[in-house]
Amino acid sequence: MAFAAEHDVPIPYMQKTREYYLALGYGNPYRWAHYVDVPFAPPARPLAASRVALISTAAPYRPDRGDQGPGARYNAAAKFYEVYTDSTATMPDVRISHVGYDRTNYKGDDPRTWFPLIALQDAVKTGRIGALTPRFYGAPTNRSQKVTTQTDAPEILRLVREDAADVAVLVPT
Amino acid sequence: MSLVARHLEANGIPTVIMGCAKDIVEHCGVPRFLYSDFPLGNSAGKPFDAASQAETLELALRVLETAPGPRTTVQSPQRWSEDASWKTEYSNVSKLTPEDIAERRKEFDAVKETIKVIQGKA
Repeated sequence: MAFAAEHDVPIPYMQKTREYYLALGYGNPYRWAHYVDVPFAPPARPLAASRVALISTAAPYRPDRGDQGPGARYNAAAKFYEVYTDSTATMPDVRISHVGYDRTNYKGDDPRTWFPLIALQDAVKTGRIGALTPRFYGAPTNRSQKVTTQTDAPEILRLVREDAADVAVLVPT
Repeated sequence: MSLVARHLEANGIPTVIMGCAKDIVEHCGVPRFLYSDFPLGNSAGKPFDAASQAETLELALRVLETAPGPRTTVQSPQRWSEDASWKTEYSNVSKLTPEDIAERRKEFDAVKETIKVIQGKA
């Protein structure tokens, strides 16, 4: 069995991002969140009897906020700063122009690649999971770890508890 | 998003992250992670490929129900393409000309300004 190509490894995004901003002339590189200890809660019941919460970093489409794709350039005006919810009954119009997805290799033209609601609805139909919560939850990507840990994460916890979620599937972009 | 997963888990709600940025998610430290070696933006499977998307979700659900402990990462066996050269294209600073750099800098400063304006209004 031949070895894989040397570059055929997970892309080192932290290193690439540091190099990029240094090349642009910015010092003080971004410091990513980092912990030694990680919490762990085993599932209390089988998934077929569990209610699943979907949490996403995708942004609701807002026509007044400029080009939001597919293929749009990075669009900071499309960012959102507070946790939001919307119904899981139908596929919402949620976009990713506000985050740094790989615009070189992906046009960003199939929302199902960043928002797996249809696949989750199918999993409910086949009985693989018990149910979805009636709402999904939108998590802001505002690069403030303080706001994420002290405001957004507690708010999402409050909402998923209100909706009696047993487990959560989180999909960052 | 890793921070949100940690907070839910610490409060008794089991989580799984579906993502494409292996180093960033593992650096943070999360309970369960289904990693797809795809371009960022494809955390839930390949575009216009329902089978890929269904398999990606199924694998995430299996990680959710069977992980033996925290920091469990499973890598999806799916390949973006046979040829892995797409990986060398992402944010390749060696390919930027001085003009590119000036342009990107201008763009980034404009982005920061936009965020400030929006946050000021919020």
